[in-house]
Amino acid sequence: MKRNQVIVALVGIIFVLFPLVVKSDYYQHLVILALMWVVIGGSWNLLAGYTGQVSFGHAVFFGTGAYTAGILANKLAISAWWGMAFGGFIAALVGLFIGWVCFRLRGPYFALATIAAGEIFRLIATNWESLTEGMLGIMILQTFRSKLPYYYVALALAASSIWVFDLVMKSKWGFYFVSIREDQDAAESLGINATLYKNISLLISSFFTGMAGAFYMNYMAFIDPEVVFSLHYISIMAILVGIIGGVATIWGPAVGAFIMIGVQETFRSALFGLAPSWVSQSHVLVFGLLVIFVILFMANGVVGDWPKIKRLFLRSR
Amino acid sequence: MSKAWKYILMVSVVISALAFMSPAMVYAADTIQVGIVLPLTGSQAAFGEIEKQSFDLALDEINAAGGIKGKKLEFLMEDDTGRPEVGRSVAEKLITKDKVVMLGGGYSSSVTAGLAGVAQQNRIPFLINTGSADDITEKGFDYVFRLNPPASEYSSGVEEFLANVVKPKSVAILYENTKFGTSSSKAFVKSCEKLGIEVLLNEGYEHAGIDYKPILVRVKQLNPDIVYMVSYVMDAALLMRQSRELQLTPKLFIGGGAGFTLPEFKENAGVAADYVVSATLWHEVLPLPGAMDYFKKFKARYNKDTEYHGAEAYAAAYVIADVLKRAKSLSPEDIKQALAQTDMMTAFGPVKFVSYGKKTNQNKLTTYVVQWQGGHLKLIWPTNLANAKYVYPVDWLKVWGF
Repeated sequence: MKRNQVIVALVGIIFVLFPLVVKSDYYQHLVILALMWVVIGGSWNLLAGYTGQVSFGHAVFFGTGAYTAGILANKLAISAWWGMAFGGFIAALVGLFIGWVCFRLRGPYFALATIAAGEIFRLIATNWESLTEGMLGIMILQTFRSKLPYYYVALALAASSIWVFDLVMKSKWGFYFVSIREDQDAAESLGINATLYKNISLLISSFFTGMAGAFYMNYMAFIDPEVVFSLHYISIMAILVGIIGGVATIWGPAVGAFIMIGVQETFRSALFGLAPSWVSQSHVLVFGLLVIFVILFMANGVVGDWPKIKRLFLRSR
Repeated sequence: MSKAWKYILMVSVVISALAFMSPAMVYAADTIQVGIVLPLTGSQAAFGEIEKQSFDLALDEINAAGGIKGKKLEFLMEDDTGRPEVGRSVAEKLITKDKVVMLGGGYSSSVTAGLAGVAQQNRIPFLINTGSADDITEKGFDYVFRLNPPASEYSSGVEEFLANVVKPKSVAILYENTKFGTSSSKAFVKSCEKLGIEVLLNEGYEHAGIDYKPILVRVKQLNPDIVYMVSYVMDAALLMRQSRELQLTPKLFIGGGAGFTLPEFKENAGVAADYVVSATLWHEVLPLPGAMDYFKKFKARYNKDTEYHGAEAYAAAYVIADVLKRAKSLSPEDIKQALAQTDMMTAFGPVKFVSYGKKTNQNKLTTYVVQWQGGHLKLIWPTNLANAKYVYPVDWLKVWGF
């Protein structure tokens, strides 16, 4: 236990010092993106990994948060940073609504319903042009030229999300979540109100995803429905981050986020320009192979299968 | 305690490794690097490729002619994969890691909008050659310059052609639901109001779809005089193929540029591509110095035809070279100055950045009309420059082989 705390403290110190040591905007940018994915992956993990409700629609909450910030800036001409205050809550409201509809379904049917929810929200954002500007998207100017403010906001968001998830999972709610995942009927027979606790899990999950979305609007300064309500690039990416890092582990999604962003960028830029250009042309393929590899050989993700990985390397030594 | 020390040691190793990774201070003194951002993979790769090839072609010529002030020009090509988020990462990398002196490229409107924001924020000049949504040059970004006209002006040539030749009473507008598609369709609705054409349908469709028949059946029921489409390349080809299958026969099919002029459109649509009319920004027979030369050189090197996207990129390369030659130094401020003072002729047309209306640093160009005739893209409007007479009216069923 003591040892873990030391590690956490050290990781924290590294991240606080990182932008002061690495001055390159480019690397800071990549870490900011990864930190944002830590939040989204962790949120997905709380609902899917711990509570067993696999969502294919986290883009709904991400997009809602982003559009909350975007619309505030665009229509009311107030700073998009207010979106950080409201985005999470609006996303949680949307989460409640989706929970109300989708939690009538279980397992694969729930997953299918969340895909549908994601597509519905994307179509609404595309067609409600008077509110969202449709496919023209919302473009604002970043508040800061420096990356530092964004970095520390992202870091604070990531740290607080991990802290909250850890807290929740250590509380009795956490045990309820896991019991619902393991056997919903048995949990109910013990007097756990499954619908209530599934909604609580969704509420926390959607709140943090919405916050990440609002942050995205502030940081990227451009959104359109294809970007923030994307099934492929948001909903599926959230799942990959969770699975590659390790489902139902506190640190799994955090590790997964850094792996995903790192691998994506390494291959897209062809090992930072060192490899021939065909490497970057096949980056999508390599990405797919990596996912297949992880799912086949490390089904519990990097963090979940860490003992296995350690053993592998120890043995080869 | 010894455990803790081990971790601290590890941390310091990591930090020093990171510090080592940061700003690569290696300057290649004999080259000038310009970052070019294009979609080289993904659904817009066909456009990215023709533009990249044109950039490469121009680059070799520029360097063969002595480069810039004795230094070689170098284009760092980066792939934006057609996504704004990736485009932003790419621009950040080019600006802060590679330390390019300016940016070029910019294909899809949504990626370009993101790139423009990054360029403005970092005070790095950015010459856009294709991304055309109107609002990109309406933000008052003084570091952002655009070579191609905004989307709302793409159809000005088509407008004249409609007013003088086709004189339609009604139109159905189909557009790909993207930033470019939406901008273009809005502009065309305005054109229709001006020309007194009734808009029976103005509908966006999902990009990357494979079945457009439901929407085409509706068009068939409405029976408009003309069908106007704003599409990228695969959807353009599919729309025409499926129109043929449904025997949808308005007086004319008109494309709003983009996918309708690419050689890939003809290859994929086959016989259904014939006699389709499209707006264009360029054609090789135009009386522009170097236009035909560029067309022939492109054909010789890559063994395929080029069209206006390629010409935009080719011209952009020459504008970049010209600007860097005139700039007092390679500081962003001086390059911006030089860009603002640009006044040159290219194979794509005259380039001079002006401000009008809400727009700033925008190049103004005439637009033209082309028609696919027997597998070749022919310039049909304005008639004094045309290399073929327009074919109108068209007996579609006969053309399509029914």
